[in-house]
Amino acid sequence: MKTVRIVALRSDRKRLLEHLQDSALMQIKKADGSRGGFEHVDMSRHMQVFERNVTLTEQALKILDGVSPEKGGMLSSFKGRRQIDPDEIGAIAAGSGNVISVCSRIVELDKKRADNIAEQTRIATQLVQLEAWQKLDIPLNTTGTRSTAIFVGSFPEQYTEAALKEAIAAENPKLEFELEIEHAEPSLTCAVIFAPLSQKAMAEDVLRVLGFARPMGATSKIPKDKAERLREKTKRLKLENEMAEDEIASYTGKREDIKVTQDYFRIRTDKYNVINNIDHSRYVFVIEGYVPEEDCEKLRELCERVATCVVDFGEAGEDAPVKLKNNKFAEPAQNILTMYAVPSKVDIDPTPVLAFFFYFFFGMMFSDAGYGILMVLATGLAIKLFKPDKRMRNNLRLFQFCGISTTLWGLVFGSIFGDAPAALYNMFTGSNITMAQLLPWPTLDPQKQALPLMIISIAFGLIHVLVGMSCKFIMCFKQKDYAGAFFDTGLWMLMLIGFAVLAAGIALSPVLMTVGTIIAIASAVGLILTQGRGKKGIVGKFIGGLASLYDITSYISDLLSYSRLLALGLTTGVMAQVFNMLATMMGTNVLGIVFLVVIFLLGHAINIGLNALGSYVHTMRLQYVEMFSKFYEGGGKEFEPFSLNSKYIKIQED
Amino acid sequence: MNGIFLAILGAAIATVLAGIGSAKGVGSAAQTAMGVLSEDSSMFGKMLVLTLLPGTQGLYGFIVGFLILVSSGILNGSTDVTFAQGLAYAGASLAIGFGGLFSGIAQGKAAVSGIAMTSKDEKNFSKGMVSVTLVEIYALLAFIVSLLVVIQIPNMAI
Repeated sequence: MKTVRIVALRSDRKRLLEHLQDSALMQIKKADGSRGGFEHVDMSRHMQVFERNVTLTEQALKILDGVSPEKGGMLSSFKGRRQIDPDEIGAIAAGSGNVISVCSRIVELDKKRADNIAEQTRIATQLVQLEAWQKLDIPLNTTGTRSTAIFVGSFPEQYTEAALKEAIAAENPKLEFELEIEHAEPSLTCAVIFAPLSQKAMAEDVLRVLGFARPMGATSKIPKDKAERLREKTKRLKLENEMAEDEIASYTGKREDIKVTQDYFRIRTDKYNVINNIDHSRYVFVIEGYVPEEDCEKLRELCERVATCVVDFGEAGEDAPVKLKNNKFAEPAQNILTMYAVPSKVDIDPTPVLAFFFYFFFGMMFSDAGYGILMVLATGLAIKLFKPDKRMRNNLRLFQFCGISTTLWGLVFGSIFGDAPAALYNMFTGSNITMAQLLPWPTLDPQKQALPLMIISIAFGLIHVLVGMSCKFIMCFKQKDYAGAFFDTGLWMLMLIGFAVLAAGIALSPVLMTVGTIIAIASAVGLILTQGRGKKGIVGKFIGGLASLYDITSYISDLLSYSRLLALGLTTGVMAQVFNMLATMMGTNVLGIVFLVVIFLLGHAINIGLNALGSYVHTMRLQYVEMFSKFYEGGGKEFEPFSLNSKYIKIQED
Repeated sequence: MNGIFLAILGAAIATVLAGIGSAKGVGSAAQTAMGVLSEDSSMFGKMLVLTLLPGTQGLYGFIVGFLILVSSGILNGSTDVTFAQGLAYAGASLAIGFGGLFSGIAQGKAAVSGIAMTSKDEKNFSKGMVSVTLVEIYALLAFIVSLLVVIQIPNMAI
């Protein structure tokens, strides 16, 4: 990684920035404002407008998707960004105003729709309240005539006409009144009470004691008419909503335009953000940033071609971002690495090692030739058909390599859709052969030879851990931390190797046993002598060294963890076998064949889903927990070039 | 005395207990995941991975159960299991039965926390995922013990 400084004329700014963005060669650093004679150009107001437009188009798309969903579904997520010609940008810019007004209209319609729905709910509540007054033929807010006071309202109890009369009379026997019950239900009675105007105050007192309340939102209309009006309004609102939805749906054809416009504003926001972050003087501006070493000349050429400028490079410091660069085999695993952490300056890039073991272990866990071939074909087809973007393509490639490894391991374990070939052969011929007999090459059956396979798994684990420790060794060596390299890492590696030789000796020959024991003891002595070197005093050093031997437990648990290679490999095989057994259960009649096809497809689909997930997760765990813990520091920053950070389109290179 | 009942009991213990562990684990994880998905449905893939992690115990139990049925010959209609062999199968099933039961529940709890963490920041996903698989090693150890015993039983002189 190099630092780069470009000084160019302000009149070339637009052109230069556009080319830098298209080429995605450099990462731009924010100016700290300490350069004398230069100033900051504030673009935040423009950026706000652009960002608002991005949000607006996002909302519009979401509404549009709700009203008329986009076709394509699940598979469309594989699709890469659409390529457009550089010349098309002008047309997009020209049409953007139009698209934005369409988006505003969509959002406006949606808001109106939401308001209408809220209004409909409100009306529905009102209608329920009016229900009780359907028989009443005077307005709800009537208070009286010239000679009579009229009370329209409700009591919080259920009364019959006689009971209510009695209750009122009991309160004040002097009151003369007449009443009419409109509606009664438990804990509610709606009634109209008539009293002489001269006794109005008295009637009010009595009614208050009984808990009388006038209806809420009383109007001067007769309840029946009011309800009728409300119903009509609901109908109108519904119609309006349908029309709004139709109008929104009519913009479906604009979907592509909206997406493109959204990206256009996104790209412009990024560009203005850069302008915001760099130093300007009256005639020139300065861009500073990082560029990968191999792209330096390309960048210089590009700048000099499109602008009057001076480009110079310098050595990058500690805080420079990291760009991972790997060959075709290792590159797909970069995503796995960056998911954990981006390598720091002191780390060596572990991607190639990671890639190899990732494919290897995944294959061993998934271990079925049938599934492996399916994976290779499916990912290959997806890459061909959808032309996905780099990230997605790398993910697909990752599974393609895993598929190859899965196929190879499947052949080793004698598993092709489980024991499908043997099971089908037996079903139709009635014979009783096994996969081992059917396949011309020697196989390793995890069910019968679980113990040897477990030893093999742990041996692979040992190699994996040792490779991790070698990385640590190299890292320490590079930093000239020789004590760290030889004592902290080297001795432990020797110790593990000693134990491995010892274990091999138990099975093979006593000579190896002796050799192994000697290596292990020698390295243990070495560890006791060196691991306490940071401590004070002879006793402290000795105890520190002795205590460090306790770390052996963590190495043992790390190694045992690799038994999952066996466990998951076995799981795939046995599950597949179970489904094959179920599928071939019904015999060779027509019904049996239909049953066979259905169960076979369904069963293996389930098995692939469950076990591919398991293999992926557990492979990742082996890398992250068992291997990376041995050496990987992480904590670097990823190289994020100034580029077309778009969702739907990318500019065609010319 | 014939040991066929004991062998079937062993298969049942392995499948059922480990299955309960996974069911509880996946169940609680799925509940939390649906809560997250109700807010942001774009995280479905990540949620699915975290939800399914406590599901392996049930698989391990099922495999041990299945292997017991195969290696005792019950699946081929044989009733040729001695009492001592039956006891051995039942004993072997206890490891994955109880190991799966408790590790499934514990892993479910870890998965719930992992889901909560991922819902706050999607970048936490891989850390959450790895932390949840830390629990799995104990189910795995139990499975291996059960497995190694079960496949050896027909060869034992009992």
